[in-house]
Amino acid sequence: MSLAQDFSRGIMKENPVFKQALGMCPFLAVTTSVENALGMGAAATFVLVFSNFLVSLFRKVIPAKVRIPSYIVIIATFVTLVDLLMNAYLPALHSSLGIFIPLIVVNCIILGRAEGFANKNKVLPSIVDGIGMGLGFTLAMVIMATFREILGNGSWLGFNLLGEAYQNQPLLIAILAPGAFILMAFILGFFNIMEKRKRGGAK
Amino acid sequence: MAENRVFDVAVSPHVGSSKNTKRIMWDVVIALMPALIAAFWFFGPRAIMLVSASVGAAVLTEWLCLKFMKRPVNFAFDGSAVVTGLLLAYNVPSGVPWWLPVLGSAFAIAVAKQAFGGLGHNIVNPALLGRAFLVASFPVLMTAGWVAPMEWKDGQRIDVQSCGVPTSHLSESGELDALSGATPLNALKQTFNWEGDSERSEEVRTMLFSRESLKNLFMGRIGGCIGETSVIMLLLGALYLFLRGVLEIRLPLSYLGSVALFAWLFGGPGWFDGNPLFHLLAGGVILGGFFMVTDMVTTPVTKKGRIIFGIGAGLLTMVIRRWGGYPEGCSYSILLMNLGTPLIDRYTKPLSFGEVSSNG
Repeated sequence: MSLAQDFSRGIMKENPVFKQALGMCPFLAVTTSVENALGMGAAATFVLVFSNFLVSLFRKVIPAKVRIPSYIVIIATFVTLVDLLMNAYLPALHSSLGIFIPLIVVNCIILGRAEGFANKNKVLPSIVDGIGMGLGFTLAMVIMATFREILGNGSWLGFNLLGEAYQNQPLLIAILAPGAFILMAFILGFFNIMEKRKRGGAK
Repeated sequence: MAENRVFDVAVSPHVGSSKNTKRIMWDVVIALMPALIAAFWFFGPRAIMLVSASVGAAVLTEWLCLKFMKRPVNFAFDGSAVVTGLLLAYNVPSGVPWWLPVLGSAFAIAVAKQAFGGLGHNIVNPALLGRAFLVASFPVLMTAGWVAPMEWKDGQRIDVQSCGVPTSHLSESGELDALSGATPLNALKQTFNWEGDSERSEEVRTMLFSRESLKNLFMGRIGGCIGETSVIMLLLGALYLFLRGVLEIRLPLSYLGSVALFAWLFGGPGWFDGNPLFHLLAGGVILGGFFMVTDMVTTPVTKKGRIIFGIGAGLLTMVIRRWGGYPEGCSYSILLMNLGTPLIDRYTKPLSFGEVSSNG
């Protein structure tokens, strides 16, 4: 498989959120604004790329029996890095993401790529796979956050789109938890329909 | 060739009945009409406008969803969308802007009903989910849009001062504010919060539970949602349903009985001193008990299950009224019990004839 395929796979064809239904916790919880989604996506991508790199580098050294704890140690190292860096340089974003930064440690996407890809592939494809999956995750987060921020706050990335009148009485549910579940259902449903149409067309 | 005649072959049950979805739904619509008259009387033409907008939006959304999903669009006119639209409008205050019930109806039909597969497949009551959606989205409009009841006299709208709701006790300055229009349940909830001022709480409660106040509650001369206030008109509708054989009596009876029991148990400030009659007449219990608890799709099918459902919903209603954040718990209690319906049905499944109970 070529590097280009490794890269593009994570963005649409095997998008971690839309196609693999992984990383639902941050996808539901921190997509209240596009800014949060971008911050979370960037943090997860950073961890994903470096954990894939290290796991792939040490794949022949790590004993199979303790591989999962080893992955967690590697991932936790980078999560701590991100946590401290973000706290130092982007304190506002850090405080709005809150507990979900440390929770990247248990993000299924990262562990899934370490176990499912980096463990079996060379260093370069693993890094490229990490970038692709990270971008796919960020893309999914931004799509969800776009709906939620526009509906629930009338703005996009902080820019007022729908005017003062709407912002005084927005569709508040969109940035609350029920809105996240409802929108997720519709987005996943949309991608399932697309998938079905594509398969139906191929026959 | 008589041998070749093809008979109509169908699976059981073979007993025919004139009771079909369409007839039942339109019966429910007719049964809801008296409450609409009461709404017109107490809340004016605006109430009718909101109800029409809601019903129109419900039917239109149903039609659009069916069209989009390439299903027979005449399902939109089986009356179920009309019932949902009516019930949703009955559950909003009459002071809200017109787009609010429209949005609620559209959500109720598109998300709570059609997204789950249409009539018969929805897991919760669409109208109630629509209401929950509105309360979560527009908390200010949905909890402060109360309009004090008025009445018609010589073609003019006049204030009803004697609504029995102690509005004077609700404003801190003590001034009489006839149009603040809080609901009786709001007033009761507030008395629970004035812990240091027991004399004032007692005074308000005495007013709320007075004969005059209960009479107003029964007639509907109180602030509240469009269709929930007039108990007498709702009972009239329920009687019609009962006579038409549409009303399943176990659900409303166990629900209302459980509300009354738990109201007496802990509906008041202490134990065993609540006023069951007040709790039955106030808020949406009568509307919920006869028109929403009885929803055929989202409530248990077994007889025992229906009684469990009613008791559970009654308990939840009273728990929310007494200790919850909202003054009224009727809609959330029914929604919560709707979610438990499959479980209740499973545990109350009757044994087939001859079957032996596995744990007996």
